[in-house]
Amino acid sequence: MKVTRREILKGAAIAGAAAALPGGLAGRAAAQSTQKRELVVAQGGDVSKFDPHFSTSSNDIRVSFNIFDNLTARHPDGKLNPGLATEWKRTNDTTYQFKLRQGVKFHNGDPFTSADAKASIERTYNPEAKTMVATVFSTIEKIEAPDPYTLVITTKKPDALLPARLAFYGGQIVPKKYLETVGADGFNAKPVGTGPVKLASWTKDDKAVLEANPDYWGGKIEVDRVVFRPIPEIAPRIAALQKGEVDVITQLPPDQGEKVAGGANTKFVGALYAGLYVLAVNSKRPPLDNPLVKQGLSLAIDRALIVKELWRGRGIVPSQPIAKGDNHWDASLPPLAYNPSEARDRLKKAGYKGEEIFIETTAGYLANDKPMAEAIQAMWKDVGVNAKVEVLEYSVRAQKNREKSFKGVFWSDPTSTLADPDGMMWRLLGPGGPQDYWRHAKWDELGAAARFSVDEKFRGQAYKEMTTIFHEHFPWLPVVQPYEDYGLQKYVEWTPNPNQQFEVRRFALKMRRA
Amino acid sequence: MRGLVPFVSYRLFRALIALWLVSTVVFVVMRLSGDPVPLLLPPDAPPSEMERVRRDLGLDRALPVQYAVFLGNLLRGDFGRSIHFREPAARVVMGYLPATFELALAAFGLAVIIAIPVGLISAMYRNSVVDHTVMGLALVGQSAPTFFLGILFILLLSLQAGLFPTSGRGDWTNLVLPALTLGAFAMASIARLTRSAVLEVMRADYIRTARAKGLGEAIIVAKHTLKNAAIPIVTITGLQFGTLLGGAVVTETVFSWPGIGRLAVQSIYNRDYPVVQCAVFLSAVAFIVINFAIDLIYGALDPRIRAG
Repeated sequence: MKVTRREILKGAAIAGAAAALPGGLAGRAAAQSTQKRELVVAQGGDVSKFDPHFSTSSNDIRVSFNIFDNLTARHPDGKLNPGLATEWKRTNDTTYQFKLRQGVKFHNGDPFTSADAKASIERTYNPEAKTMVATVFSTIEKIEAPDPYTLVITTKKPDALLPARLAFYGGQIVPKKYLETVGADGFNAKPVGTGPVKLASWTKDDKAVLEANPDYWGGKIEVDRVVFRPIPEIAPRIAALQKGEVDVITQLPPDQGEKVAGGANTKFVGALYAGLYVLAVNSKRPPLDNPLVKQGLSLAIDRALIVKELWRGRGIVPSQPIAKGDNHWDASLPPLAYNPSEARDRLKKAGYKGEEIFIETTAGYLANDKPMAEAIQAMWKDVGVNAKVEVLEYSVRAQKNREKSFKGVFWSDPTSTLADPDGMMWRLLGPGGPQDYWRHAKWDELGAAARFSVDEKFRGQAYKEMTTIFHEHFPWLPVVQPYEDYGLQKYVEWTPNPNQQFEVRRFALKMRRA
Repeated sequence: MRGLVPFVSYRLFRALIALWLVSTVVFVVMRLSGDPVPLLLPPDAPPSEMERVRRDLGLDRALPVQYAVFLGNLLRGDFGRSIHFREPAARVVMGYLPATFELALAAFGLAVIIAIPVGLISAMYRNSVVDHTVMGLALVGQSAPTFFLGILFILLLSLQAGLFPTSGRGDWTNLVLPALTLGAFAMASIARLTRSAVLEVMRADYIRTARAKGLGEAIIVAKHTLKNAAIPIVTITGLQFGTLLGGAVVTETVFSWPGIGRLAVQSIYNRDYPVVQCAVFLSAVAFIVINFAIDLIYGALDPRIRAG
């Protein structure tokens, strides 16, 4: 998942060269509509696997979420919609009952039933299947299929987010019988799903050709074929869009939006990233163990300036540790404040004596990571903080992340996989989580209670209180919630998903026909 | 040449040692470079899950054990299974070879056809306007970064002039820009070397003698100069071809060309040890074969070497 954002920056440098030349396409006929029956999508890297239970990388899930359906579906508006399940309800605190869609067929003609759903989900955590999504459904106790169109899932403890989990990776439904016949390798080579497209051919690092499923239960998609092409560098990716060789490009850097929008035939659209870019803090290391120091550091960051200058406005200033668009995001909170004089006061009150504070940044792992680190270093110096920027190679960062050995603050891009604070701040900052550098008894208690509650009112209150504690202690210094932008031909009417799913179903994609 | 059999078997022995060394270095360096497991799993996978996958991939075993297994498999021609693609590594690499050959041959052909005549003309009209222009261009070709040239070609010849597709593999039009970009460096070095090799020979006594006895310039160039200048030209040309076959990471990346260089780099990022090992091994084989071929050509070109 990380590679994609890293690429954005890497490409931005050469994209500058592209920007220096005038876009010479204005003379050609403006194609505001099309008769094309094919949609060509250029992304930063190629597909690696088609078996959806063996990858969570964004280049793969853009494809696999279209070959396969999930029981529930997260639409571009962020809401959970019916997928292969038409409806679901909680029958008690730990049991969900799903009604499954009837008359759905896999691409090979096999009918879809509850046996497939059961086998699919069980496969993800079956030790013998050795999948890469084995922990996604760790809350499930057992799955029953009382009849072909009913599925009953019992969880070990109450799990309010089960329907949300089923919508994301690991939740793609694969055909039981076919998979047993061809085996895992055969399935990966010739995947069969119920989704709106089926795999026609794949040439590695060249193109994956997907054909529309004419019998798709959600209606045949707008085109006959969807082609995914890898174009790793951003400048050639933009050139391919401008020349009309491709219809959609992913991972458009913030400084290239205007250029694409200025083309005669091209435009860009963005979705607010389902997550935040934060400086995570090692709160165990003095002086960062002092909440007043961290409050001072937060107050010294001019986030609005960062959004304006480094993101060209393609982002918003966070107001809390919950991403905008998620459950329990509190609309009443103002954006995190910038107040250098107050920052100086708090640092003074904290007894800060010029100890070194390290910003450990990568260069290009996240979009704008190093420029933002340098900007923040300057802002912190302005209030008397002895900030040092250290640049880490990506693999060093990965190792420090694993060993939890960062010595100051470091970039992280927490993704909200379930559109809920549980799947973001609690997953990462909770006890034993990947960013467990800070503990607070009350905060921990609230986080655990919210996780195992199915009462949304109670959960909402818990996250409110957790946010208040967060704003005193700042285990993360949230910096920006960026947009993820895509370049499109003007004739493509398409709505992006915030969570990197690439939706070609009818509700998200239309081609403007003359 | 001493008997052909000892010559070949000696070269073969050296080749095997080289291949073993290359494989070992790649094996060690890849394992030092990091762990593939976190790249395979979702970001929030717990340590126990990491351990499980590491065990499944055989990465939990001691390094010497992994090495012994690797060498044993290598002897049977088995490079193991790609971690990233879940297929045999050799099959993955083989899938990229046609595109690599296509691009390497096109770039090489372009380079040789243009560079050798140009170098020759430059030498014959030394210090003329032609010479200065051509050598100036060659200097640019040799020093301009590939990604710059590539993107320049895309913007000028593809986007502005609309002559060729911007990227990807397809018919011959897709081949022109990457071959030109990739060939530029080889072209420049071959042209420069041809020029200096020819100049050197032209100063030789036997050329003066040939002129003195009234031979025409064309015969002097064709029969005496070129043949004697051939050794360094063949050497650099052969080595350039080896380099081209080894894959052209930057060119392939800029033009989204599905070649072996890009595969190797992607596989390094993905810590896909088996694919990197297989790709590097094949590149080493290509180099060794080309070196061997160059040696044989030397013998054909220069009887003194044959007499050895």
